[in-house]
Amino acid sequence: MKRSIVPEEKAMAPLDVVITVMAFLAALAIGASLIAGRAATTWSEGLAGKLTVQVLPPKEGSPHQGLANEVEAALIVLRSTPGIVHAAPLSEDELLKLVRPWLGGEGLVADLPLPQLIDADIAPGSEVDLRDLAMRLKEAAPDSVLDDHSHWIGRLRDLARTLVWSAYGVLLLIAIATAATVSFATRAGLEAHEEMVALLHQMGAQAGFIAHAFEWHYFRAALMAAGAGAAFAALVFLVAGGLESAGVDAVPFLPPLALRPVELAWLISVPAAAGAIALGTARLSVLAALRGFH
Amino acid sequence: MVRFENVGMRYGAGPEVLRDVTFVLEAGSFTFLTGLSGAGKTTLLKLISIAERPSRGLVTLFGQDLATAKRSDLPALRRRIGVVFQDFRLIGHLSAFDNVALPLRIAGRHEADYTRDVEELLAWVGLGDRMDAVPPTLSGGEQQRIAIARAVVAKPDLLIADEPTGNVDSEIGARLIRLFAELNRLGTTVLIATHDRGLVESARAREMRLVDGRLVELRTPRP
Repeated sequence: MKRSIVPEEKAMAPLDVVITVMAFLAALAIGASLIAGRAATTWSEGLAGKLTVQVLPPKEGSPHQGLANEVEAALIVLRSTPGIVHAAPLSEDELLKLVRPWLGGEGLVADLPLPQLIDADIAPGSEVDLRDLAMRLKEAAPDSVLDDHSHWIGRLRDLARTLVWSAYGVLLLIAIATAATVSFATRAGLEAHEEMVALLHQMGAQAGFIAHAFEWHYFRAALMAAGAGAAFAALVFLVAGGLESAGVDAVPFLPPLALRPVELAWLISVPAAAGAIALGTARLSVLAALRGFH
Repeated sequence: MVRFENVGMRYGAGPEVLRDVTFVLEAGSFTFLTGLSGAGKTTLLKLISIAERPSRGLVTLFGQDLATAKRSDLPALRRRIGVVFQDFRLIGHLSAFDNVALPLRIAGRHEADYTRDVEELLAWVGLGDRMDAVPPTLSGGEQQRIAIARAVVAKPDLLIADEPTGNVDSEIGARLIRLFAELNRLGTTVLIATHDRGLVESARAREMRLVDGRLVELRTPRP
């Protein structure tokens, strides 16, 4: 049975462990950048196309009746505006739910004159002249305030963009460190086999034959080590997804930490890249070593 | 086959270990290279096997001047030479079979093509029942026989051997010399470096002796 010219190590070499750890970190960084990118999109899409009209209770006259009149007037304006596909006031329960974290239960707020909120949706792709709409709302309901969330969307987009670029930066640094580790491990391994390279050279092996024997050995080794690291990272994301499905909110305010199947597939790029780096490094190192021989 | 003209060799800035060495090995010849330890035998073999480049002089191998040979031509020249190293240089994790088959793999032959040849050769050197053993589990003599089998398996045009019978008993030694003689009879040029006077005396072969890096031709067999 023909065996590989380069010996297969039975135990994991220390440098393989380093490659596994670096690949784990690289896969985590890829997952984090994917989650950050998804969060940026979700946040932007979630608020884009939404309008909120806040109608304050009038200072004069009956607050309840005045509020109801202004809400009705605002709804007429909204529903008659081209591009707005839906406009509806929040129910009392929804309003109470919103203020509960700050003002407590129903007992305290029962007698307070709460403003009324109207949610409106803009049809995707439609343009609404918000300045004109705000003016028309003021005319129909003087105590109304139009909020198109542009301020928050801008802030959230900036935050998400910062998160995504930070994740890319971390990913780049880890990728460089991983590439350097794989390259170093390959060179160290080759040094241990220098006598064998010299023997094969002496026996008349072409440079390509020797390089081929070594590059596939180190390709497989790096692929296995980095594959283990990426698999651990995938496990972390799967566990996070499982916990979130079970109702455990891992980190409040952050998007779900679980990766979708398509996103998990991106983690395969880590062992693939590690294997390619090892293969290239081994080939270049062997060819460089052979140039040193007569 | 091999021509040396005024060849000198020094390592770095050290003294010359070979001086004005001139000789010719005709195709199909059988030659012993003798001399005391340190006389330069191993260095001479390294020059012939293209493991080293001479400091001066002209080395011609298979009609090719090595000074002007292209680097890309050297692997093909090396494949025409079988070398038995003094320290065997076997690959420790490969079986006896795979070690012997290595030159054939390097030559690009498929396993199915050479399996029988390798098995027959291993049986000839007395290791037919140790084909799957790896070198660390074999004795020095057994390792030496694997090294010899590896050197001859591709039927090289030139076989050079550094002390090939140093670790085997006289019976195996005689058998190995018969193997070399058989190869020689089939056309392989053979050069054996040895300390073994008995081996040299028993063979009707040319002897070249190195003394302090200079070559002294001692004996040429009578036709």
